[in-house]
Parts: sequence; structure tokens; C-alpha cells
Amino acid sequence: MTDRTVANVTCLGCGCACDDIAVVVTRDRIAEARNACALGAAWFGDGSVPAETQVNGRSASLEQALTEAARLLTGAKRPLVYLAGDVSCETQREAVAIADRLHAAIDSLAATAAPAVLAAQRRGRAGATLGEIRQRADLVVFWAVDPSARYPRYASRYAVDPSGVAALQGRASRTLIAVDVGERRGPAEAHGRLAIAPADEVDSLEIMRAVVQERAAGADARFQPAIDLARRMTEARYAVIVADGEPGPIPADPARAEALVTLAQALNGPTRCALSTLRGGGNRSGADAVLTWQTGFPFAVDFARGYPSYQPRSDAAVLLGGGEVDAALVIGAPATLPEPVAAALAQVRSVAIGPRASAASFQPAVAVDTGAAGIHEGGTAFRMDDVPLPLRPSLDGARAALVTVRALRARLGA
Amino acid sequence: MSKTLRLRIAGGTVYDPANGVDGVARDVCIEGDRVVAELPAGAPRLDVRGMVVMPGGVDIHAHIAGSSVNHARRLLPEEHAADPAPAPRLDGGAVARSGTGGTLPSTFATGYRYAGLGYTTVMEAAVAPLAARQAHAELDDTPIIDAGFFVLLGNDEYLLRQLAAGEAARARDYAAWLLGTTRAYAIKIVNPGGVAVWKGVGGGDRRNVSGLDDTLGSSVVTPRKILEVLAGVANALGLPHPVHIHCNNLGQPGNAATTLETMKALSGQRAHFTHLQFHSYGGAPGKGWASAAREVIEYVNGHPEVSVDVGQVMFGSATTVTADSPVEHLLYASSGRKWVNVDIELESGCGIVPYAYKEKAAVAALQWAVGLELFLLARDPWRVVLSTDHPNGGTFLSYPELIRLLMDRAHRDERLKGVNQKLLAGSALLDGLAREYTLGEIATITRAGPARLLGLKNKGHLGPGADADVTIYANEADRAKMFSTPRYTIKAGTLVVEDGQLRRAPAGRRLAVRPGYDAAVTRDVKRFFDQYACVAFENYGAEPVP
Repeated sequence: MTDRTVANVTCLGCGCACDDIAVVVTRDRIAEARNACALGAAWFGDGSVPAETQVNGRSASLEQALTEAARLLTGAKRPLVYLAGDVSCETQREAVAIADRLHAAIDSLAATAAPAVLAAQRRGRAGATLGEIRQRADLVVFWAVDPSARYPRYASRYAVDPSGVAALQGRASRTLIAVDVGERRGPAEAHGRLAIAPADEVDSLEIMRAVVQERAAGADARFQPAIDLARRMTEARYAVIVADGEPGPIPADPARAEALVTLAQALNGPTRCALSTLRGGGNRSGADAVLTWQTGFPFAVDFARGYPSYQPRSDAAVLLGGGEVDAALVIGAPATLPEPVAAALAQVRSVAIGPRASAASFQPAVAVDTGAAGIHEGGTAFRMDDVPLPLRPSLDGARAALVTVRALRARLGA
Repeated sequence: MSKTLRLRIAGGTVYDPANGVDGVARDVCIEGDRVVAELPAGAPRLDVRGMVVMPGGVDIHAHIAGSSVNHARRLLPEEHAADPAPAPRLDGGAVARSGTGGTLPSTFATGYRYAGLGYTTVMEAAVAPLAARQAHAELDDTPIIDAGFFVLLGNDEYLLRQLAAGEAARARDYAAWLLGTTRAYAIKIVNPGGVAVWKGVGGGDRRNVSGLDDTLGSSVVTPRKILEVLAGVANALGLPHPVHIHCNNLGQPGNAATTLETMKALSGQRAHFTHLQFHSYGGAPGKGWASAAREVIEYVNGHPEVSVDVGQVMFGSATTVTADSPVEHLLYASSGRKWVNVDIELESGCGIVPYAYKEKAAVAALQWAVGLELFLLARDPWRVVLSTDHPNGGTFLSYPELIRLLMDRAHRDERLKGVNQKLLAGSALLDGLAREYTLGEIATITRAGPARLLGLKNKGHLGPGADADVTIYANEADRAKMFSTPRYTIKAGTLVVEDGQLRRAPAGRRLAVRPGYDAAVTRDVKRFFDQYACVAFENYGAEPVP
């Protein structure tokens, strides 16, 4: 194909799903991803992907691979389907159909944000799409996160810099507060900052909620900065709390996720407030949405009984670790798998269909390389705030994941 | 029997109000996906003598797909766990999907359950344009039923700016463009201006509008203005369904005054007022509640340009899910239940609170009574549609019980005795409303009427050329039982329910409009997007991307 530039491309490098990327294609390789951050540029790369089809490490035809995949999966007593990154919602929908047919367990990358998802199921959420934060936020509290590391354009595209209908001066219309919780620090550039000891984090959030609800907050001096912050938030016109939903170096405390939700909810008494929960890329939010509409549950679904049941305490890592799973089907890029899942997959017979499947660390019995959604293949993906966006492929020639997964589905009679 | 190419539905008692057929024994003939006048004598027959034959059900207002519905599904794992939906066993081993139920079933279960109820067409009542692509994907996974959605416009920033600038023609072109690009069916207004104020439009400490003449930033932008312009737009564009209105002050005591004022503001223009029950209360905020159903329905009775659906409250579990986010905040604050709020950039909102209506609760009993009063005092069944605002007043699975309440006075009076009477003093229900709906009237409020109001010329009737969507019921004295288990449902000529069992699950079709507009508007919208939106103009909507 000729050299070209594809505009308005959606990047799946992180959950920001920036859709303003201009992909410059020269000699069938991506020469540049304009507007992309470093993380995005790395995600696009030059667009080259392997095109292997392998059975037991040897090159095979697609026919042979699908036959072997079907044999392996239908022969399993306890199959697991895993939705990894970089596939479209259209492909995810096919994969859920396969899990339904196989009476398999199915999980996805969305499970990485399990504490936040579970907290939202217990309490609900006070949220906003990212664009509404841009329009309205006059106070942004970065709670133990600096988005610039894992969500590089969050500030420049959404919450801070751009002007909005009620924040005409962009950054100058907003007050930024960084909350440092131990080593998890807020952005360096902030109008104010406070430090909270990790052991005090949940208590601080609860005390802040008490302040917001005009209940007694106690008189412990070490909570005074948090109390002051809570008061300040009640005086904002539209306050936003930004927190990371993905795991950090410290194991997530479910109470923390719940305390963030309930604080944001409570702030909607005296003022308006939204909690913005940062989530990773690869269209994991799409996996959450698709599983929810097809099964009623966002991750960790088990079809073993012939209908979906929810097993959030037995997600893929737990199931694999327990030795119960005897075959796995990974749909998506193996490189996006959480380390414990990838490690455990090495212990079972597996089928991998997705970008760089043949290079999977867990050495699948059947590997079918495909292109990546958003680079070689179109469809739909979700931003971290559940906004659906179209994908615009800039390269062609790679095998399509959607067609391949559909072919496997047909083999399985699903 | 595989796909029905020809079928004579023979000897049933037919209720086809659009064609003036009211309980007449006659045949209905189907060829392909259409009703035809006659078939050759040797055509396959389905003997339904003694059974009741109606067009397939048409739901004019339900929440079944899209971002708000999916947020609500995600919020309710306990409901899904309690109501598993194994895959139905389809004819010939055809593939079917499992799912879960509860007040917001998974997509496949939604399609199967509607068909199992004899409904073949459903309108999703509130989709934010930003999430239109998701709504279509969910409807693609909702089998059997033909479906469309109404797109939210009553709090849209770009639209409000056109109103402020007096750009009526551009507002019309914008609405037309938006309907096409989102592949929507009709224009929806939810709490005009109120959701924008909840998000901060207009500034100040307000969290909602209180009436038609509150201003939003500009002195000329009011709920009244939004209503007038969008009602005018829908009529000027010749849309098949007029503007679909969820009035201001939903659920507030005394809101009947607002509802009547809204109807009067649009006097002479076609407009559909949805879930009227939630907007027909007397009393005053802080001073108690009463029924104002009689006043409201009398206005409707006297104004043929007005149509409504009732939004009946049914006792049991429900989930309130609406773009009317300030109302949900009130419900959260008063109920203490879990609560979702999502402010949707530049467009709309979303609020969700799970709920339960209890017979012993005074307000729930009043709501139940108000809905029934509206039905029983309505004079023209063509303009008063059966709905529960699924799942807000109850789920669509409660329609059969609602039909029984309307058809069976003894049953209704018995139920009335069991509810809290505290707020029922002014209710016409206590005066002994004797009316019992006939089967013909039920066919009107569940089929012929909504199809006509939606402008679906091939739906809701059984004349030649109609879509071959037919429901056949055993004629049982217990109308709840009768309507909950049709013997046969035929969708587009395919027998989907047979002997009471779901046997086939073909894909449904999408219902959408694409009105014309002056393309100049898109340049202006793109400028607005470039300035404020965080989705590229080119990526917006639900058109296929090349």
C-alpha cells in the first residue's frame, strides 16, 4: 500500500484511549504516531507483528491450528478463557460466546482493577466521563497517583490543561492538590500537597467523609491536613478525585477503594464531585463492558453450571494457581497478561490467539498470531471511563483476530 | 418446522384493533416475514382454535441497552446471581446463549424473555449520543426483538448554545445530524435543563431546575424553550415518533402542575409524555403527597395531540436508572442505597439506585394507585400505552400482572385492600373504578397504540403487508397467566415460541431514522468539538468506521 497518514486513530497504550493520533505509514511500517506519548509510541511501534501459526512449537496451517485448538478445548474438563489486551470488543464478544459454549471460566485484564470494581458494586460510584472533568473541574485532587507515569496524557487531554465550558482558562481555572501516600506520590506540579502515612490512608478518607457530612471528625492532629482538604473540597464548585484503579507496589486494600467511592459520593451533598478511577489500556474496559452486558458480571465469570456465575475471589490467577484448570484459551496479546497469570499459564495446555501469540512466555500448544486491534484491525474499544471509541487500522496484511476467533467459535459449535 | 415461509394461523380469535378486528374468529396468513391476505388452501396450518391472536407486543419505553443500563447491570451482581438464565434449548440444536436476569437482564436473556412474553419490538428509551456505539453493540447481542433507541438531547451543551443564540434552524439541523450519526429513532428529553444544572450549567448552588421558566445561564434558555424547540424539531423533521418527554420534577409531590404546564406549553404540537405516573402527584414538597391522576389524564383525554405511556409501579424489586441524575441523588440521599452517578460530557447524565416498591409503604402504594387511575380514567387507549418504565417502576416481566389488574376488577380491588391507604384519600381508585379493560383494549395499549405512536406502519397490526410478528395466547381466565406464557410467538415469520417454549432465536432488526439536514451544521459542530470535546468529531456517533 502507498504511504499515508491515518488521522483520528485511537491508541490503546493506556486507558486514556487518546483518539487524536495521526499515524504516519511509510513503506508499510508505522514511521510516526503523531500526538502519541512515549507509552503510545511504544504501543504502536513500527506496526510489525509476527505471522506465525504454530502447533506444539512447529509451523502449521490455520486449519491444523484450529483443529488442534478445538480438540484441546473440547477435551478439557475445566477450561479457562482469558481476555488479554489489544483485541476489540467485537472479538471479545466472540470469545465470551466460546466460554459460554465450553462451560468455561472466563476472566480478563479488567480483573486487575478488581478492588475498584468490587467497591463500585458494593457502594456504587460518583463518576464522570473524562470530558466532563475537563469541562467542570475547579479542584483536582490526585490521590496517591501521578498520572504522568502510566497515563501520560491524562493531564494534557482531560483533567488539567484543556479549557472547558466552565473552566475557560484550562489549568489556570483549576486548583491541583497532590496527596502523597507513602511512596505513592501525587504530581510534582501542584498548588498544594499533603502527606499521609500509608497506615492512615483509609482512616483519612473516612475522616474526610465525616467532615463532609458534618459529623465529628475527632481532634487527632495527624489528620488535620486531611480535614483541611475535605473542607476545601466542599467549597469547590466541581471537585474531582483522581485515583489509580490498577495495582501498584502495595497490595490494594478493598477498604481503600470503598472509602474513595463513599467520599466522592458524600461530596455530592455540599458540592459536586466525581471520582476518576484510572485504568490500564489494551481495551480492558471493553472486556469489562462486554462481559457485563453478556453475563451480568464484569470479570471472573464461570459458566461451569451452564450459566454465568460470579467468582471474584476465584479469578484466573487463583483458578490457575489451584491446579484446577486443564486447558486455557488466551484471546489477545500475551505480553499484556499480568505476571501471575502468565506464569501460571505455563503449567497448562493452552491456545493463544492474538498479537505475538507465538512469542508467549507460557509456550502455548497452539499459537496463532494476529494483528493488534487499533493498529491492524478495526472495531470498538472502551476508554477507562467506559466511553466507546472506534478503532482505525493503519496497516493491513496481518491476520485479523476477529475472523480467527470467529472461525474457532464455529469449530466449537458456539 | 424450520423458518416459516408460509403459515396459516387458523381459527384463532383475532384482536387487531388497527384494522377494526375485535375478537373475530379468522385466519391470519403469513408468507416470508409479512402478513398476507390469503394463502393457497394447501399451505401449512397452525391450528389455534380457541386461542387469542394479537400482533406482537410493542414496548414504547424500556431501558434495555447502553451505557446506563450496563452501569446498572454491573452494580447488581447479587440480582444476577439470584436469577440465572441457562441457555434455552433451541430447535435443531441451534446455538443459544446463557445469561442472567434480575431487574436488568443480560442482553441475550433480555431478548429471550421479551419474546417469551410475546413482545417483538422494544424501544430503548435513553441513550447518550457519546455512548451510541455501545447501545448498538448491546442491541446486536439482544436477539429476536426489533429495537431502536431514543437519543438524549434535552440537556445538550451544543443545543443549549444554539437556543441561547436564537439559532433555531441550526438546532434543527443539529438534531437531524445527531439522530443520523447515532443511528437513533427519536429525540428524548429528560428533565429539560435539570441535568445540565445538576452538572453546573448556570452556576450557583442549584442542583436542578424547579419549573419551566428557570433560566440556564442565558435568560432565553429555559426548560420551556428546550421543550418548544425540540418538539418543533421532531415535528418539522417529520420524525415517525414525536419528541419523547420525561418532564421536570419527576417523583416530586405536586409535580402534576409542572406536567400540565409542560403539556400546555406544547399545546397543538404532537408530543409523547413518558412514564406519566411519576409526574402525576398532588400535594407539595415537604407537605405530603396525593394523587393528581384525574387532573392530568383529563387533560390528556381532551388533547388528541398528546400521547403518554403510564410507567406503572409494580410491587417488588426495581432499579431506578435514568438520565435524570439529580432525582437519583435525592433517592440516594433518602434511601441510603447504593448509588451510581455519571456526568456525561457536554450531553447528559446517568443516575442509578436499586429500589423496591412495597405494598405497606405509603408513597409506593400511592404511585401504584396513580398509575392504575391513569389507565382506568383514560378515554382513548390509542394514546395511553402500557409501560412500567422498565426497570424503574418494575420489570417488563410484570406486564402480565399489570394486564390482570386492568382486566380484572375483583383482583384489583383485592390488591387495593392490601396496600397502605394513608395517601390514597383523593384517589379515584377508592371511588370504585369499575372499568375492566377488554382484550381489544389490551391489544391497543400493548401493540396497536404504541406502534402507531412510534410511526411503525408495519407493526402493531395484522393487515396485509404488516411484519409477521404475531402472538398467540391460550384464552385463560387468569389474565396474568395467559399473558405471561404465550403459546406461540412469531417474529418476522419465524416461530420463536412454540407450545410455550422458546424454540428459535433469530437476530432482530434495528429501527433508526436518518433525517436530512443542512450540512453546514457539521462544520460548526466540528468547531465546537475541536474546542471542547475530548472525542474526535470523526470518531463520534455510531456510523461504521472505514
